[in-house]
Amino acid sequence: MSDTILEVTDLKTQFYTERGVVRAVDGVSFDVKQGEIVGLVGESGAGKSVTTSSVLRLIEEPGEVVGGEVDYMGRTIVGFEDTGEELVPRDEMLTEAQMRDQIRGNEIAIIFQDPMESLNPVYTVGGQVKEFIELNRDLSGEEAKEEAIEMLRRVGIPEAAERYGDYPHEFSGGMRQRVLIAMALGCRPNLIIADEPTTALDVTVEGQILELVNDLQAEFGTSFIWVTHDMGVVAEICDRVNVMYLGQIVEQGPVDEIFHDTQHPYTEALLNSIPRPDRTVDDLEPIEGTMPSARSPPSGCRFHPRCPDAREPCREIEPAFEQVAETADGAAHRASCLKHEEVGYWEAEPLEVEVEK
Amino acid sequence: MGLLRYTLNRFLQAIPVMFGIAVITFLLVNSMPGNPVDVMLAEQDASPELIQAIEERYGLDEPLHIQFLNYIGFSWFLAQIGFPGFADAPPGLLQGDLGLSMYYERPVSDLMLTRLPPTLLLMMSAFAFALVTAIPLGVLAATRRNQPADHVSRIVALIGVSTPSFWIGIMLIILFSVQLGWLPSGRLVYPWRDPSHYGYGSTLELYYQTVRHLILPMIALGTLQMATIMRVERSSMIESLQKEYVKLARAYGVSERKILRKHAFRPSQLPVVTLVGLNLTSAIGGAVLIEMVFSINGMGRLLIQSIQTHDYQLVLGTTVVIGFVFVIGVIITDIAYAYIDPRVSYGEGS
Repeated sequence: MSDTILEVTDLKTQFYTERGVVRAVDGVSFDVKQGEIVGLVGESGAGKSVTTSSVLRLIEEPGEVVGGEVDYMGRTIVGFEDTGEELVPRDEMLTEAQMRDQIRGNEIAIIFQDPMESLNPVYTVGGQVKEFIELNRDLSGEEAKEEAIEMLRRVGIPEAAERYGDYPHEFSGGMRQRVLIAMALGCRPNLIIADEPTTALDVTVEGQILELVNDLQAEFGTSFIWVTHDMGVVAEICDRVNVMYLGQIVEQGPVDEIFHDTQHPYTEALLNSIPRPDRTVDDLEPIEGTMPSARSPPSGCRFHPRCPDAREPCREIEPAFEQVAETADGAAHRASCLKHEEVGYWEAEPLEVEVEK
Repeated sequence: MGLLRYTLNRFLQAIPVMFGIAVITFLLVNSMPGNPVDVMLAEQDASPELIQAIEERYGLDEPLHIQFLNYIGFSWFLAQIGFPGFADAPPGLLQGDLGLSMYYERPVSDLMLTRLPPTLLLMMSAFAFALVTAIPLGVLAATRRNQPADHVSRIVALIGVSTPSFWIGIMLIILFSVQLGWLPSGRLVYPWRDPSHYGYGSTLELYYQTVRHLILPMIALGTLQMATIMRVERSSMIESLQKEYVKLARAYGVSERKILRKHAFRPSQLPVVTLVGLNLTSAIGGAVLIEMVFSINGMGRLLIQSIQTHDYQLVLGTTVVIGFVFVIGVIITDIAYAYIDPRVSYGEGS
């Protein structure tokens, strides 16, 4: 149960734009164990999608993975060595062809955020599911078609066999998202990256999809990386959570710990900004300001310009990402906040938070 | 099923459009300056009797609205049901009769039957040439975006769209016919004729000569089409390649080749189909010039001759037929569109 299948260490991805280098992912480390759902949470632009795309090596020009390691069950998806002058890919790093034939789809599948755009408008829904199943599993065309219909049925598409030949525009958003889930599960991957798959859906459909994923996950034992900005979704399905802010993970731990023993002010702020039935809009505490650009991140702690708890040292000292709390089952609970370091945080004066509104 | 009904519907919808074309053309031709009978008599001092005889022969002595009813062919129907006053009305457009050419002294529809095929042959080959060259070039340019291959093909396309086709035709003749002597400079060899008509021994030789004669006019007429199609193909492919569904295919391990051939290619053909459909019809204008340059006896030359000779019925006939070809071209475009893009509604349930 606790075998690590994916280990990401100090991953760095950059985009080279005319206005400078964007460090979209800047030293991210996390892991995924067999059969668990790991959340990747943060605001828009935190680098969640870039992280998952980097794991599959799907970053396109002008972006590039520039450092770190991604290890999937002993295979090196990303790995560099230092020649003294520059970092070059290690020999054992999988080639593009190996990634395509051995990893993408058959080991790690992905579900994208926008179900309306993820299906090809000119091909039938069933044909698209079948194509990926046939490509990633050792099945004949006929078997793949049967499997596709079976998977469509399993994800709750009524009259799956009849609807196999329908086109995407004949499906609603929620139905299309089910199709994408059927596509991912149908390939029998070991790990599914779900990149905000319910964000574009309305809440009732979102609930159904989450329930569906929970059931199917229990049945197939597939691991998930669940990317979202919604702490509610995290609470619903995740086992462990990684909270991202501006290209870095600021807090990481089991879901109960994150919710009940929050260690980072940003996580705290995220939790406080969830609408709840027992609070009115006035009670909501939105996070002040907007996330700064990853082109020129703030000095010290990246969150300090927006942090309600920021003090003098936060401006200069970059906090380390360390174990901060004891957990019941010994799982790591890490956070990067100076509150947990011996750098004189508690003695310093609070910073005046200057927020651009 | 849906596609068949859609096709039928589109043709039914085209009927009023074609009627409109006939009305407008009729009115325009009738408002042309100059009297056809005068031109026909070539300024001889003809007797009033002769003039009247000619006018009667071509039905020009009737009032305009009766002429129109005659032309469309309503009068003929009225004659069939014994409507008084239309006893000996001639058949018209609805009966497939376009009247009598004054200059050729032959039925316009006969002339059409010999002149339309060369024009269609020329246009079809020009578009075949344009599509066969433009689509691979456009795809290549899209995949090599901002690389030398892309720049070269874009410059070629820019030259192609900005050079008049008749000039290209003349240059081709100078180079390949006059200087190098590789290809004939004009006239077509029709593959539907008997080889012995041209003195060829075999059908194979006939086809070979057809191709040889077609190459230069085909390139001259097709270059503009090639350039415009290539530009659209390129931008459309670039757009498709950035779509979410292409990223998804990549994330599921589909090879780049297959992504190009299948996932990105088909959705990006929609704008190309629209463009080809519209250009098919507007290229008739280009074909007129090319037929003049290459001495091809097609519709274009017929139209120009008919205007020069004030051949009233022939001008009317060629213009109306070209208009009909235009409408049919648009319908074919719509059908192709519906075939490629399942989102185009067949109009069922409405």
